[in-house]
Amino acid sequence: MLDTYLQILVSGLAMGAIYTLTAKGLFIAHLATHKLNFAQGDFLMIGAFLSMSMMLAGIPVLLTALLVLIAMGLLGWGLERFAIRPLDRFGLGGGGGTYSWILTTAGVGLILQNIAELVWGKSSHYSPPLFSEGRGNVIEIAGINLFAEEILVMGFATVVVVFFYYMLFRSRWGRAVYAVAFNPEAAMLLGIDVRRTVVLVFVLASLLAGVSGILIGPLITIHPHIGLTFTIKALAVAAIGGFSNPLGILIGGLLFGVTEAFSNYYDSAFGDLYPLLFVLIFLAFRPSGLFGETRADVR
Amino acid sequence: MKRFVYILMAIAIGVFPLVVENTFYVYLAQTVAFTSIAVIGLNFLLGLSGQMSLGQAGFYAIGAYASAILATDYGWPLYAAIPFALIVSGIAGALVGLVAMRTRGLYLAMATLAFGFIVEIVAQRWVELTGGTMGLMGVPTLDFGNFRMGPTYFFWAVGFAWLFVQIGSDYIFASRWGRNLLAIKDSESFARTVGLNVPVWRTGVFVLSAVLAGLAGTFFAHQNGFVSSDAFSIQMTLALLVAVVIGGLGRSYGPVLGTVILLAIDEGSASLHNFSLMIYGGILLLVLLGFPEGATGVIRKLVPSGLRRALLVAPSLPVAAPLEEVFSQKRRGESVGLSVEAISKSYSGILAAQNVNLSVAPGTVHALIGPNGAGKSTVINVIAGLYDADSGRIRIGDTDLTKLPAHKRARLGLARTFQNLQLIGSLPVLDNVLLGMECDAQHTGGFLRWLIDPNHERAVRGQAMSILQLFGIEEFAGHYPDDLSYGHRKLVELARAVAQHPKVMLLDEPVAGINTQEVKEIGQGILMLRELGITVLLVEHNMEFVMRVSDRITVLDYGQVIADGVPAEVRANPKVIEAYLGVEGETT
Repeated sequence: MLDTYLQILVSGLAMGAIYTLTAKGLFIAHLATHKLNFAQGDFLMIGAFLSMSMMLAGIPVLLTALLVLIAMGLLGWGLERFAIRPLDRFGLGGGGGTYSWILTTAGVGLILQNIAELVWGKSSHYSPPLFSEGRGNVIEIAGINLFAEEILVMGFATVVVVFFYYMLFRSRWGRAVYAVAFNPEAAMLLGIDVRRTVVLVFVLASLLAGVSGILIGPLITIHPHIGLTFTIKALAVAAIGGFSNPLGILIGGLLFGVTEAFSNYYDSAFGDLYPLLFVLIFLAFRPSGLFGETRADVR
Repeated sequence: MKRFVYILMAIAIGVFPLVVENTFYVYLAQTVAFTSIAVIGLNFLLGLSGQMSLGQAGFYAIGAYASAILATDYGWPLYAAIPFALIVSGIAGALVGLVAMRTRGLYLAMATLAFGFIVEIVAQRWVELTGGTMGLMGVPTLDFGNFRMGPTYFFWAVGFAWLFVQIGSDYIFASRWGRNLLAIKDSESFARTVGLNVPVWRTGVFVLSAVLAGLAGTFFAHQNGFVSSDAFSIQMTLALLVAVVIGGLGRSYGPVLGTVILLAIDEGSASLHNFSLMIYGGILLLVLLGFPEGATGVIRKLVPSGLRRALLVAPSLPVAAPLEEVFSQKRRGESVGLSVEAISKSYSGILAAQNVNLSVAPGTVHALIGPNGAGKSTVINVIAGLYDADSGRIRIGDTDLTKLPAHKRARLGLARTFQNLQLIGSLPVLDNVLLGMECDAQHTGGFLRWLIDPNHERAVRGQAMSILQLFGIEEFAGHYPDDLSYGHRKLVELARAVAQHPKVMLLDEPVAGINTQEVKEIGQGILMLRELGITVLLVEHNMEFVMRVSDRITVLDYGQVIADGVPAEVRANPKVIEAYLGVEGETT
């Protein structure tokens, strides 16, 4: 029994780590630009498919990862350049009002889904494992059998998260992001290339979706429409962290993953919906997230 | 004019299914009619109140299932099942609206997206109730018991339902309802200070849009007699969004135009169903990036401006009402004072206002001054109700305001202007002033008056004009705030505040950043307020101005009152001089 619980816990943590990674992409873009990619989940889907195809074609894992990341970086750049930046010229009076970017990025998501349907078909696919020899490969830790792939995914995701925090808080680039987030004009006067920072932020967000896609391939079945659930879950996780607190996103992501794993275990029909409902109710009571502070709209 | 257009539309709806032989076109027209209803709801939500919903398909699905299940499994007659389904969608809207009330923007988009997703999944998996993807069979169609004439009757039902909703939409766009929603969209703090209960309005719009989506859903269910969960995916939500954007967001006729275009594209590209997602995505990008004003915007550009002016029955600028009509003589004698007792306010440990006492005598101009960071804006915002005080009491006359939210204070006669102007950019100057008049306007019969009278707001518009005249800016009535100079915009804001018929007015830096001529004009404006019997509390840095217009001055420093008296006393007070200039001892 304990075995089962631990296995569920580990699967939950592995999925939670993926959600955290995906949500980080949303967080960083929102931090710097107050916009984000509503096709983040579809980006993840593309990352997963690309990596699956390359590995099936016999390209070594590391090279696959590199190629996928290059492709994802380009995709992120293109998103900013062609679906988000052109909206600036309308100011606040654009077609979708202040939220045109939600619709343009969602539109890009639809196009990506369609492309995936055309290239990989509408059916489900299995991606080969990244680290171990087979999907069912188990390792024994303290007498309990755990899926090796999940442990490794979790470990790798942790490394990426740590690196991300390092970049954000310790590097010059991270400080530029915070400066742009605080006030783009002031940042420009301080000699920060705001435009470049914004592009980089979207490239990074896309890379994070790509990493998540590569890592998740072996854990689930992939098809062209898995993106939406990941977009929703990543948004939910980012909202738990208030879109402003990176630590909240980490806690939120792991919590979400574990809750989902257990609720799936107890209710296989609707298990995946409960965590989302929790988040919605949570938002109604704590609209600014776990650690966020409510700020009054006063000018 | 309007009446004839509506009568023509009604005739067209009546005749259409009788003339058009091809049942497929009748079917398409039915779909256009009920889909438009859902899109109109979305247009209120996104176009007027600025709230994004990515979950409209959820409300649509709830309406469809509620009505279909009641009619099939429980044998309810449709005249009972459909209204009940609307109530159910309304309740769902209110529940999601609770999240909407507390959150905005991105969070709202996320919450509604999740809501739509949850509804879709439940519809898919709760097979005993919904039939899942296999669908619910044998749903009665809305044919009024006549199978052969069914499609015609159904078309009339949805057609007139659409017309009814469209007329309602036109009314909202042309009246205070639309104006208030635009104000909430542009600036919530503004909306609160003119007396609008923002959360109620926001939730109300949400419920309205949910009910309209639900209505469209019930029609959908009773059109085909078959409901499957496949119909309610995120694609449905995006289709509704595509329709509202393509038609022209925030335009009353955008939804129906957008729906026609969308369904035309759908039918036209039926053979390309492998590319349907790409087509939707492409349309979203193309319209938002290339034609952000949608089809209505394109049409506006194509129609020559002369013809457009002739067609558009935009009410011309009104004649100013006599001033006595705007401010009755009686009110002038009823000035009340403002008293602030022992107000304290701290932000995360920093005391911004400490035990501040302030008493403004009825009908006087009182200035609150102090160096930067002295806590003046905090005091103003606490009085206006935008911040809650930690302790202390606020009263105007005998009324205790301390526990009341900002919009209630506004309704009790507390008006304010902002340090950074808060005018609604999407409305002309005159309408901005009208926003001030909403809270004490009479609304009964507004709809009927609008229907028969091309200039239904004649009376209030005349009054607003008269107030603009009072400040000498009536010539700008038809301009948009952004086209005015900064000083003139400040006057517009003053006019808007006066239109609220306030007993007490708070002016936050009324002359900051404007030239000397404009300072003079504002100064005259303020003296006029006193003339009208309005009690004024103003915060300002321009000492010359303060000394000239104020009857009494209170000085704040580090959140505490350090002096209080008539201008001459304050000017001579050594503590004040010290606070402003520093003393020798401090610098060494």
